[in-house]
Amino acid sequence: MPNARVLRDIKARNVVKASEVLRRAYLYVARNETLSPQVRHQAQLQLNTFGKYTRPTTVKNRCAESGRGRGIISEFALCRYQFRLKALKLELPGVRKASW
Amino acid sequence: MAAAAAAIRPMRLAALTRSRCSILQTAYNPTSARTGAKYLRARLHGPSMVKFYTPEANIAQIMRQWPELEMRNFAEEERLQDVEDKKKRGKGAPKKAKEKGDSRRASRRR
Repeated sequence: MPNARVLRDIKARNVVKASEVLRRAYLYVARNETLSPQVRHQAQLQLNTFGKYTRPTTVKNRCAESGRGRGIISEFALCRYQFRLKALKLELPGVRKASW
Repeated sequence: MAAAAAAIRPMRLAALTRSRCSILQTAYNPTSARTGAKYLRARLHGPSMVKFYTPEANIAQIMRQWPELEMRNFAEEERLQDVEDKKKRGKGAPKKAKEKGDSRRASRRR
């Protein structure tokens, strides 16, 4: 069972993907200076009704193993310590200790 | 010839820009007004976001989808065995309270 924060992040990502097109449409209307201010304001109010998980800023890369929010290596979706543990056990394909 | 180049009227330059935009099918925005086009132009980020975490293998789901594989979910079997053992010892889950006053919490207050 993955970390609770990771589950929340997965939920956020799914909701963002589902609502992205609609959000963009409303943003276009709200930010278009050639339209009347009433229309723009209406669009902005509609945007405000969207939930927090529709916003792409709620999405954060997290470690899939530990749920840590910092020090994430995106290619493996692991934090630096988990990456080190797995790399030394040779569980990450193509990763080996650097020396040159 | 150099002196004549400085005297081109702005109307003619604007007409030139307009016709160039219509030929090359670009947007004509001489005043640089903010049209919000950047929100429509940018590529969608949703699909790449969802791909960040690899989906975990769900044994129960695989068993439901392909029953012909005859897989066994060892973790689930062990959990059921633990529940049975607890019941034998008398440590099983308590009975569900039918009314509000029957629950342990309500009787503890007195």
